[in-house]
Amino acid sequence: MNVETIDGIAHISGDVSDWKSVVDLGHKLCKTPGVENVVIDRADARVRDIGRFRAMGDVDEADVVVIGGGISGCGIARELCAYDCGVLLLEKNSDISEGTTKANNGMIHSGYDSKHGSLKARLNVEGNALYDRWSRELGFAFNRTGSFVCGFDAEDEKIIGENFENGSKNGVPGIEMLDGDRAREIEPAISPDVAFALWTPSAGYVEPHEVALALMENAIRNCARLRLGCEVVGFDLSSDGESIERVITTQGCVRCAHVVNAAGLYADDIAEYAKDRFYSIHPRRGVLVIFDRLKRSVLRTYLGLAPKNYTKGGGPMMTPQGTMLWGPSAEETPDKEDLSVDEEGLGFVVDKGVKLLKDMDSSDMITYFAGNRASTFNEDFVICNSRRLDNFTHVAGIQSPGVASLPAIAGMACGLVVERRGYGRNKNFDPIRAVRPAFRDTDFGEIGAENVVCRCETVTEREIAEAIRGVVPATSLDAVKRRTRAGMGRCQGGFCGSRVLGILARELGCDPTEITVKGEGSNLLVSRTRPIGGACDA
Amino acid sequence: MREIAADVAVIGGGPAGMAAALKASDLGATVALVERDPDLGGILNQCVHDGFGLIRFGRQMSGAEYAQVFADRVYDSPINVMTGTTVLKLQRGARGFELHLTGEKTGAALMTSGAVILAMGCRERTRPQVRIMGTRPAGVLTAGAVQKYINIEGYLPGRRAVILGSGDIGLIMARRMTLEGMEVAGVYEIMPSPGGLRRNIAQCLDDYGIPLHLSTTVRQVHGNRRVEGVTVARVEESGGARRAIPGSEKYVACDLLVLSVGLIPENELSRNAGVEMNPITGGPELDNMMMTSIPGVFAAGNVSAVFDLVDYVSDTGERAAEGACGYLSGDKGVLDCIPPIAGDGVSFVVPGRIRRKDPASELYLRVKRTIRGARLEVSASFGGKPDEIIAARNCPIMTPPEMATVSLPSCVGEADRVTVRVVEG
Repeated sequence: MNVETIDGIAHISGDVSDWKSVVDLGHKLCKTPGVENVVIDRADARVRDIGRFRAMGDVDEADVVVIGGGISGCGIARELCAYDCGVLLLEKNSDISEGTTKANNGMIHSGYDSKHGSLKARLNVEGNALYDRWSRELGFAFNRTGSFVCGFDAEDEKIIGENFENGSKNGVPGIEMLDGDRAREIEPAISPDVAFALWTPSAGYVEPHEVALALMENAIRNCARLRLGCEVVGFDLSSDGESIERVITTQGCVRCAHVVNAAGLYADDIAEYAKDRFYSIHPRRGVLVIFDRLKRSVLRTYLGLAPKNYTKGGGPMMTPQGTMLWGPSAEETPDKEDLSVDEEGLGFVVDKGVKLLKDMDSSDMITYFAGNRASTFNEDFVICNSRRLDNFTHVAGIQSPGVASLPAIAGMACGLVVERRGYGRNKNFDPIRAVRPAFRDTDFGEIGAENVVCRCETVTEREIAEAIRGVVPATSLDAVKRRTRAGMGRCQGGFCGSRVLGILARELGCDPTEITVKGEGSNLLVSRTRPIGGACDA
Repeated sequence: MREIAADVAVIGGGPAGMAAALKASDLGATVALVERDPDLGGILNQCVHDGFGLIRFGRQMSGAEYAQVFADRVYDSPINVMTGTTVLKLQRGARGFELHLTGEKTGAALMTSGAVILAMGCRERTRPQVRIMGTRPAGVLTAGAVQKYINIEGYLPGRRAVILGSGDIGLIMARRMTLEGMEVAGVYEIMPSPGGLRRNIAQCLDDYGIPLHLSTTVRQVHGNRRVEGVTVARVEESGGARRAIPGSEKYVACDLLVLSVGLIPENELSRNAGVEMNPITGGPELDNMMMTSIPGVFAAGNVSAVFDLVDYVSDTGERAAEGACGYLSGDKGVLDCIPPIAGDGVSFVVPGRIRRKDPASELYLRVKRTIRGARLEVSASFGGKPDEIIAARNCPIMTPPEMATVSLPSCVGEADRVTVRVVEG
């Protein structure tokens, strides 16, 4: 491998087939004084013919284009709505939250572990503090439960001690070292083997895709627009090469005054399209495990192990919907699309959960899946205006504690845009999103005549139809699942899958064979059994 | 809020619930039968294959036909049938049991009843329970879901299928998919012996030349959007666990993975109501009138344990109805019971408790392993004396997937101990 450092950015090229060596080298380079971040020049980088998309001509325009409908992009779009600018969010998938966001454990970290002085450390503590307000305004579930980092031996004690110091410097409110017994008074589920713990009462959890949806819905209520299935494939730069004039997408070209790159795993590709790549994303896969609701009363807070790596990975916690979740693991992978679960990743998560919890095994596991974190090599957030282009803002490297930091990330990114473009306040901005409680959370005395479709999670046909007709429409089985939880329970859609599919086909006015699990190419049914078959009515 | 009252509330309108409702109605109780689906019949409606009703009706019927016989009788009876209605909660109230209901036609309603029969059936085990690694593309479905798409909705969920698990539904679906023009690459079974009935191996696989790979499992799913193939591997048993044999992995191209990896009694309502569960059957602890640990709450059919034949399911429904009607007119206290012990060769017996006062009953059991020339024996000890055999019968072959039955004589009511065992005769 060859390394060349230009303007504080180290470029790795040559044979990068041994991915572990690349990752190790990248991390090492970032510790070298004067190296800000690392770019990998892969010989196998995809070159795409964008001529036919450019030829579609201008199909849209906006003041600010936000690329990426993950939780970051949705948050930035919503914050921009508070200013006097027209916002258009472009998402390549058929739904928002289809990338990293859907496989995030929703931990709102307190901020004890991000290295003091890093951008992460500052935005984490700030972002965490803003969640009460966001949750009130946007109507998503947020539980501030507190979290434990648990220690078993002297090595753990040293690491946890360092984290206590670091967290105190970061300004984590209420941070405290506890002995095992005191920790078990607060959280009885902690294993008796745990000798001491770092307690941060400000930690909590959310459902990341619920937060993203809330943000996007509120943004749209405030006149932002969303294009789904719209992948950015290139840019047209001005003749002097100093600004972006048009965004070229698979749906045609979009004229705009400013572009925000919140493309997650693909942020480096987007940066490259703008000839402004100064970081590479190295995906770090995490496996998450979900348990049956039977386990809802096992745990109240969050439990982690003393961090010994770039990421500590996640431990056992409860989602706001009352399901126990373990994970994620942390495994480097060269392939952004590789979301496979392997024995190693699953084993890591399960072993950790069993170690931390009293009397718990993995027998009531109902599903597991993986997501890829969008890490850069300096392992910090990259939130800045471009140094080469005058209308391009990067929001990259958003990994743990990205969700916790989100309100601060979105605020900072929005500030960068507004400052550069000089937008004033939008006097009509309404930060409130009204939500109707889920059927399952409604008192029996208040419910009406409803057709319950998903028996495991008690989701009704009305709720599913409303999700499909929603402000951000759900058009796939997974999209319905994320909004309503239909199919997320113990039978994993065994009973309700065909009924949800029927409701989708009815509401979208299409044939059942056109319905997908998660967008293009993931159709569930291939054909009718015979030319004149049965109906697939809901 | 609409209020509905019944002597007996039956939850679930499949074969167990319909049989229970009919029997309770015949015995003079006012009965309400609550079913989530728009039609009665439960999973039987999607069972277009035959093999139902041999014991009860002495002829081969399809599942749908078998269900229709009961449904016709239900609609012809005074039973209050509430289809399209979901029970959200079951709890004890001031006036007996309370059921929170909702449904498009029913509306939100509060039902009160003197007794409850749980007949919610079972659900299929899913992918995590068999720990298949890999991706999560479209095209991984349980056998029951595939059956519904093909037989009820009229759609094919793939072109070339791999089936994991040789349980009955998997075998039936191997034949069904073949008849519908799909290709079945093979059936893979992690155990050294098939999980389904012998007749289904012959009629659904052998007759169509579909290979059955024993001691082989699916390890990994490939494909991001749609299933592109699976990795299968041979397994060996070592130290009580079954592990993949390194180097035995093989890639099998397919666009559908069908899981037929077992059934779990559907007991969430029961659990939330506080019914005590049996970890081996996955159903409630039951006495010989199918009464649970909560007096007045009964269970019938696959909610109590997974049965292989629908005829038994209907029998347990009728038994539960007799129990419920007896409960309404009789003793409401805790009854003195004797637990029959699952002895040599027996994995479990249902019911797990026999009432001393009213002990005559049918006992269902499963064997741990295949036994040829088996002898099923019930022994009991009376007044501290050594065990004596009180019932026995010979079976040419007994296999784990096939439930066996034995009638208990009334003398078990006086026994100190009752043991059921299966030995090589």
